[in-house]
Amino acid sequence: MKTLFKLAWRSLWRNKRRTLITISALIFAVVASVFMQSINRGSHEMIVDNMTRFQTGYLQIQDYRFENEPSLDNSFYFDPELEEKLIQQDDRITFVLPRIETFMLAADEQTTRGGVVFGVELEREHQFNGLKDRLVDGRFFDDSERGVVLSQGFSDRLGLNVSDTIALIGQGRFGMSASGLFEVVGIMEHPLPDMNSRTIYMPLETARELLSADGKVTSLLIGMDSDRHTDAVAANIGDFLEGSELRVLTWTELIPELLELLEFDLVGAYLMSYILYIVIAFGFFGTILTMTLERIKEFGILISVGMARLKLAFTLFLEVFIIGLLGVIAGVGFAWLLLYYFYLNPIELTGELAETVIEMGWAPVLPMSFAPDQFYSQAIIVFLIAIFIAIYPMYRVIRLDVISASRT
Amino acid sequence: MAVIRTEKICKVYNPDTIPVHALKDVSIQVEKGEFTSLVGPSGSGKTTLLNMLGALDMPSSGKSFIGDVEVTRLSDRERIRFRLHNIGFVFQHYNLIPVFTARENVSFIMMLQGVGQRELLERADELLESVGLGDRKDARPHELSGGQQQRVAVARALASKPRFILADEPTANLDTKAAMNLLDIMEKMNEEQEVTFIFSTHDQRVIKRARRVVTLVDGAVHSDETTAVDSAVKDNQ
Repeated sequence: MKTLFKLAWRSLWRNKRRTLITISALIFAVVASVFMQSINRGSHEMIVDNMTRFQTGYLQIQDYRFENEPSLDNSFYFDPELEEKLIQQDDRITFVLPRIETFMLAADEQTTRGGVVFGVELEREHQFNGLKDRLVDGRFFDDSERGVVLSQGFSDRLGLNVSDTIALIGQGRFGMSASGLFEVVGIMEHPLPDMNSRTIYMPLETARELLSADGKVTSLLIGMDSDRHTDAVAANIGDFLEGSELRVLTWTELIPELLELLEFDLVGAYLMSYILYIVIAFGFFGTILTMTLERIKEFGILISVGMARLKLAFTLFLEVFIIGLLGVIAGVGFAWLLLYYFYLNPIELTGELAETVIEMGWAPVLPMSFAPDQFYSQAIIVFLIAIFIAIYPMYRVIRLDVISASRT
Repeated sequence: MAVIRTEKICKVYNPDTIPVHALKDVSIQVEKGEFTSLVGPSGSGKTTLLNMLGALDMPSSGKSFIGDVEVTRLSDRERIRFRLHNIGFVFQHYNLIPVFTARENVSFIMMLQGVGQRELLERADELLESVGLGDRKDARPHELSGGQQQRVAVARALASKPRFILADEPTANLDTKAAMNLLDIMEKMNEEQEVTFIFSTHDQRVIKRARRVVTLVDGAVHSDETTAVDSAVKDNQ
């Protein structure tokens, strides 16, 4: 084995230039495929991140009836005891975020519009999604103040500004009438275009009072150390909630249509990836083909003097394995450095594209994903392509006619 | 018992289109310790016969025996293994493994045979000493002259302790001095260790040193002569 490895290793470096070019090609392949993945996933991660932070959370606890009947009647009691028990279920849970959410009519002197009211605990909300940073005018409310913050689109539609008064009319728990006048203390820019046109934030306690939902919430968002742990944490919370009227849902269960949309959007990206893989495969095959053909005589001699074909095939496999491994390891290293740079210094968008992105409430940059799995998944794919190509020289050796080979 | 024996072997290329009869009913027998040359003009079938004797190629008909084993009945895999343990090869173009040193080239065959590390290194060193390359064992083929490379090839051929060595035009690429030096080494091994050599050659320097000359013409044995080598021949060359 040691001698075969030595033979493979030295054979690789017999033609240093070719080996280095092959390794460079593999590095390029890994970097290109990781980079492409990163761009695709970056924008998706941003969408999912905004959706989860401002709407559903990665994990949410609801009353089991709420999904089909999102009414305040299906809200549930939340107190510090429940919060403590939830946090104890999994070390990865960092906080619990209570929200009360309902639909109400909002009116100024002349116009009435439907809006979504979020009763929130401001500090916890800010910790989760940086809500305060979204303020464009005025200020945020105090915890029990009768003040509201409107999303910019909504305030524009109603023609309301800071210090104006808004009337909210709706239904509280169990048919109770819910209405009141509130001061617009601030205006914020919601990152989700749809939500920017219809969102009203108010203090959780104020919302409870308005909606006759003392101590109640419609949802609890669960904060974790990393969204990668969503399923595992969901399983632990699910066990804890077993037998109660509460249940835990992941973001993919809460907004499956978003997942479908993102997957549909990825079809083009997958196609581009497959084209890239085919280009990589042919490029690598070209090198291996040349390497094999120019050594046919050598292979013939080795078999002539008694080297078993399988042993020789294994040696060639080792060569491709080594070159593949060096290429993908170096490729991952380069890709990591490149993505890290762009992660810290995102590519800035300009012109109409930038304006469109800004209009959607996003920063005019090309978001890049830095998810670790894209490094090893792409490295594994490129490595498997290289290993697949190794079949060719192995096949040639297994089928080699030593007499013909010795004449080459 | 003969080291190698063929019984009416024939080799026909392109039997279904334009048949070429490379060998026609060739029956020869080589005894242990012989120093035999296969000679003949180009296209006479020397290399084809050598390939048959070396179990590299299979005859279209006839039988070939090495010792008491009928190699024509062996599978490809069995023949490779058989070659490894029974036949040494010396090629016209040396064909050493370019990435290995002289010592590694010689020990590689023993490694394939499963010889222990210590034993194979000792034997490799002994063999390189015996071909006069004890001081060049760490040199790679491109650092050696043609004559030196061919001597390494002889050492490699001997490494497996074969029943006989087949040498295909071993001196064709060597100058006279290197060729004579190589022949001296092979002759010495033949005389002292009874190593059986079979050459395919055009080279008169080899033919004159051979003790048996088998001449092939048009794929058939034309003559088979045993000669006494005159020591004066060696001295004059």
